[in-house]
Amino acid sequence: MELDFLATVLLSSLSSASILLIATLGLAVVYGLMGVINLAHGEFLMVGAYSALTATQIGLPFLLAIPVAVAMTMLIGAIVELLIIRRLYGRLFDTMLATWGLGMVFNQGAVLLFGTVSPGIGMPQWNFKIGDYSLAVYPIAMIFVAAVMLAFVYMLMTKTLYGMKARASIQEPEMAQAIGIDSSRVNTLTFAIGCGLAGFAGAILLPIVPATPSMGLFFAVKGFLTVVVAGPVALTGSAVTALGLGGGASLTASFMTSMVGDVFFFLVTALLLWLYPMGISSKWRRKL
Amino acid sequence: MKNILGALSLTTALALASTAATAEVKVGAIFDLTGGLNIYGIQQDNALDLAIESVNAAGGVNGEQVTAVGYDAQSELSKYTQFAQTSVLRDGISAMFAGLTSSSREAIRPILREANIPYFYSSLYEGGACDRQTFVTGSSASQQLNVLIKWAVENYGPKIYIMAPDYNFGTISGHWIHEYAAQNGAEVVGEDYLALSVTDYAPTIQKIQSAKPDVVVALPVGAAQTGFLEQFAAAGLKDSIGVVSTNYGSGNQQVVVSPQAGEGLVSAMGYFPSVESTANAAFKTAWEAKYGTETPIVAGAVDVWNAVHLWAAAVNKAGSTEPDAVIGALESGLTFDAPNGTVTLEPGSHHLRQDIYIARGNAANGFDIVETFADSAPTYENEQCDLIKNPGLAEHFTPES
Amino acid sequence: MFEKLHHHAGLVFPILATIAALAVSGSLDAYLAFVATSWVIFGLLGLSLDVIWGRGGFLSLAQTAFYGLGGYFGAVIAINLSPSFGMTVVWALPASALFGALIAAALGYVIFYSRMGALQSTILSYTFTLLLWSVTQTFKLDVGAATIGGDNGLSSIPGFVLGVGSEAAKLKPNAAFAVVVAISAAVYFLTYWLMRSNFGKIVDCIRIDIEKIELLGYDIRKFQVLNFAYSGAVAGIAGSLFALWANYLNPSIFSVQEALLIPIYVLVGGLGTLAGPFLGALVIGALSFWLGGGAAGGQTTLILGAVLILLVLFLQNGFLGALDKLWKRHLPDPNDAARHAGAVKIDTDVLEEILRDASDQAGPAKNLTTDEAYKRFGGVIPVNKVSRNFVPGKPYALIGPNGAGKSSFLKTCVGIYRPEGGRISLDDDDITKLPIFARVRTGMGVKNQKPQVFGENTVMENLWIAAYARTKEAGAAEAISRRILGMLGLEAQCDVQASTLSHGQQQWLDIGMVLCLAPRVVLLDEPAAGMTNEETRELSVLVRTLAKHTTVVVVEHDMEFVRTLEGHVTVLHQGKLFAEGDIETLRANDAVLDIYLGRGVHV
Repeated sequence: MELDFLATVLLSSLSSASILLIATLGLAVVYGLMGVINLAHGEFLMVGAYSALTATQIGLPFLLAIPVAVAMTMLIGAIVELLIIRRLYGRLFDTMLATWGLGMVFNQGAVLLFGTVSPGIGMPQWNFKIGDYSLAVYPIAMIFVAAVMLAFVYMLMTKTLYGMKARASIQEPEMAQAIGIDSSRVNTLTFAIGCGLAGFAGAILLPIVPATPSMGLFFAVKGFLTVVVAGPVALTGSAVTALGLGGGASLTASFMTSMVGDVFFFLVTALLLWLYPMGISSKWRRKL
Repeated sequence: MKNILGALSLTTALALASTAATAEVKVGAIFDLTGGLNIYGIQQDNALDLAIESVNAAGGVNGEQVTAVGYDAQSELSKYTQFAQTSVLRDGISAMFAGLTSSSREAIRPILREANIPYFYSSLYEGGACDRQTFVTGSSASQQLNVLIKWAVENYGPKIYIMAPDYNFGTISGHWIHEYAAQNGAEVVGEDYLALSVTDYAPTIQKIQSAKPDVVVALPVGAAQTGFLEQFAAAGLKDSIGVVSTNYGSGNQQVVVSPQAGEGLVSAMGYFPSVESTANAAFKTAWEAKYGTETPIVAGAVDVWNAVHLWAAAVNKAGSTEPDAVIGALESGLTFDAPNGTVTLEPGSHHLRQDIYIARGNAANGFDIVETFADSAPTYENEQCDLIKNPGLAEHFTPES
Repeated sequence: MFEKLHHHAGLVFPILATIAALAVSGSLDAYLAFVATSWVIFGLLGLSLDVIWGRGGFLSLAQTAFYGLGGYFGAVIAINLSPSFGMTVVWALPASALFGALIAAALGYVIFYSRMGALQSTILSYTFTLLLWSVTQTFKLDVGAATIGGDNGLSSIPGFVLGVGSEAAKLKPNAAFAVVVAISAAVYFLTYWLMRSNFGKIVDCIRIDIEKIELLGYDIRKFQVLNFAYSGAVAGIAGSLFALWANYLNPSIFSVQEALLIPIYVLVGGLGTLAGPFLGALVIGALSFWLGGGAAGGQTTLILGAVLILLVLFLQNGFLGALDKLWKRHLPDPNDAARHAGAVKIDTDVLEEILRDASDQAGPAKNLTTDEAYKRFGGVIPVNKVSRNFVPGKPYALIGPNGAGKSSFLKTCVGIYRPEGGRISLDDDDITKLPIFARVRTGMGVKNQKPQVFGENTVMENLWIAAYARTKEAGAAEAISRRILGMLGLEAQCDVQASTLSHGQQQWLDIGMVLCLAPRVVLLDEPAAGMTNEETRELSVLVRTLAKHTTVVVVEHDMEFVRTLEGHVTVLHQGKLFAEGDIETLRANDAVLDIYLGRGVHV
């Protein structure tokens, strides 16, 4: 095996894992801090992508289109929380079914609004070489984006008043109420942030994954598996799981076939759940 | 709870009674108007309406007007079965125009075979369908690849990489690529069959670079194709390695893909909007008057247009809609001056002899025709399937790989 | 009259519906009969989910997997056998039921025997379906005359054939409809009977309180796997009916869209109602059929999505649930008696008699011994090498300040916590590694801090399920639970739902359930919590009487209650044994006072 091939494979597997993590973080935040699985997560990603796309079409540069996508998805997220999620607290599976219905509505809504033909925005045509192998810069840059995103969420949860309130509300709900934290308002914000992260993912991944109404599905499916395998310590757990599963699947695909990579992802998920019935982080002492 | 059914049957019986009287010929149509496949389905359905209008404007069939009873299969397979049965059992159709994927065809083919109703399948596909009631107006994989591989080897070089989806369309196309590569003195240096759920093309792109081909035959479907092409172009490989396809541009890919990734890609299909002929100009004028210019016309739409006209010609020739007479007429070597050149329905294989165009994507998200291979025969289907000699055949032939 | 009808509604109305459907089947439009057949099949598929979700409490997204696999398997059999023998229905159905059941049992074994979390189980079942979808796209196999062709599917599946021999004709749509209705009705009534049987009662209790039912000594995993296998069999039957109906199968049967339609059928009709899924499939099928053909056709998914949200938000129990609620309002309230329940008075003579009989049947009391039992959670060690021997005669009280590890010690003995070290034994049996139910079967009876009763069930049903765990015989269980019911003085409340009882009464009911088990060692975690003074006195009488016949260990905060027990007292502190003796000497012990008051010099 040539060294340059190996280096390329490792780098792009890391990039694959990072892309999975970017797409999953919003889900992990909502699950970790609210105990809610948002099955419409993939559709929020799609909404983010279309928002960014629309913004670029009316003339905004791509970098400015990303905040537009985040604002849009946060707003929709907050409304969804107020109208639906709030009424279903503590009913995990009902929330899943309701958000799944929401996902179908979003999906069909996107078909109606945007049709099925939307021009892509293309990837920056930068690339670099490792030995004989040429790599596109943009997907590799996602490693950096994922790291920044992770750090941002971590800071948000540990260093801000909101973050402390949010963690207090999930860890000691009664105590949080008693010291005057309005947990329902915190939850609205948490859900909006989760959706905003999905919107960010949709926007930043737009050059890699073209906007289509059903673009979120496979990201979301792998995202759910990642979060569930991660277990209670959602943030760190998801980062570790995304790295292992996403990177592992990409590595497998590089050396064998894409099909084997996919089967690897699903089988390792099943194996991990068999070994760690409550998620890999169920016995960790970390809280975030 | 089930006695609601009784009430339902009553209301439908009443509804039926009111629609029975007028003299007209009914045809069935099932396309995906919603769901993931509606990029194709809507246009196929539009083409059907347009074709029926044109047939009726020319006096209908045997002097009777044609009406379509259309259904939306919602990109769900079970809906195809359901609506095919409904068409047969309730609507009393004389012909059926339906389906996009091979599985949708396989789902309804046996139903129409049993009912003895001519069925037109209008989509490019992997080839090999053989059934007395089934007529295929799309091009088959071997029909397209036959000319494409020859052209690619001449223009790019003899080392070929196959990148295809891991199901019948992809694997059977893979078989033909191997076969035609050998015929043209070329070699397949690598192949990768991707699961439908793959969104990450980095591994494939590395494998391509590792195999160092002259040309990649890229056959993934829908969004997967555009995702792959973007990454391929961004990695800077497009200039050194050619990309050819038999399904790029069959839907909306050339519009979704960014110009920098789409320009220069080569596709081989039975129709491109930029085909220059009077028939195509007339077809495009009619189409754009009715549906606008917003979306480019897909090959599947033209295949439906051709199917309706071939059927109408057959009914007129047979002088009735009686199935065996119509099938007989269809098996008489009908030709039609289609937007994509003159097409001929092969009597034995029920496939179309038609022009195959090689086109190159341009900077304006469109195609420029590079070369036309006139009157290409569906060789594989003609070899395997002779329904004149053997009308009892009902098979889906696949090449041994 | 109406009460009786209400009680048997799940039998009466489906019978009427079946008769009505069979009666009109001949005169229906052929195409409507054809389409309606698919609704009945989807209803049957919904039923398979209702069995495992509505009854068993596990939201399985793998039902389409069993449905699809059953369909493929049944179809392959039908294709190969029908040319010479006909009777596709007869060949395909049992084969697909068996296949569906086997696959479900295998998946269920992984999920239930590893004791996977609820969310993890659901997601794993979803993964299973997705994996099948992915793999079947390329799966090609020729089995005799049948060709499974990857995404091109399995074609030329014969229709419904009842006749024997190669000449037997395919049934026309109306006859096929009647056949499917008859088969579905048969499966429904079998399911109805099964869910009313002892098996169904246990499955219901697993849904309501999975920990409690195991604490009664039931091997829940076995019941979960069996129930899952049954639901897999039902889904398999639905699958092969679908195959015979559609004459074609393809991997899209495993798709996400299909998988998530089934919960909609169940929710629309009513979760846990068994008949509901049929109603749901009918409503959704009719809706999407008429929308699909009409002007609003393109919006089917939009409408279905919105319907799902509204259902979850506003019509939790579906149409049948809402109907049931409405009906119940016009029936006398069976829970009325809960309001008239008097104070519990323990008749020691009756209790003694019960306990003597229990000894006759279950053998003498057993000693509970822990040897260096050790349990840790990260850095916290709630049970730190505790060695103690508990024998019958006098009750043992475990006391200690908050966080001393009293409840953890109890939970470790019961098996709710798995110890990392040490040994726990009942007489000479090492039970350290046994699961909870096995410890209960060797003679352990446990009552946790919160009253654990099956709230949806009646008081009598609660006691019966406990007694049945030991006797495995319905009549004997009935007799035992009657006696305990009498001892608790709850005869008038026997048909009251347990959740409507007061907190104190629920505690008594819970204790009653433990007594039904005839335990040889009894562990009680703060049994007096939430009881009135009067009740606490009665409890003290009960515990002392109990200790004469069995080994009794009580964790308690209430010092006054501990004093009335007149037994051994053990003080735990930071997971370790700290002091022992009777209550008076311990009260005089400075060190004990120190730890209670937090004067932490003693470590």
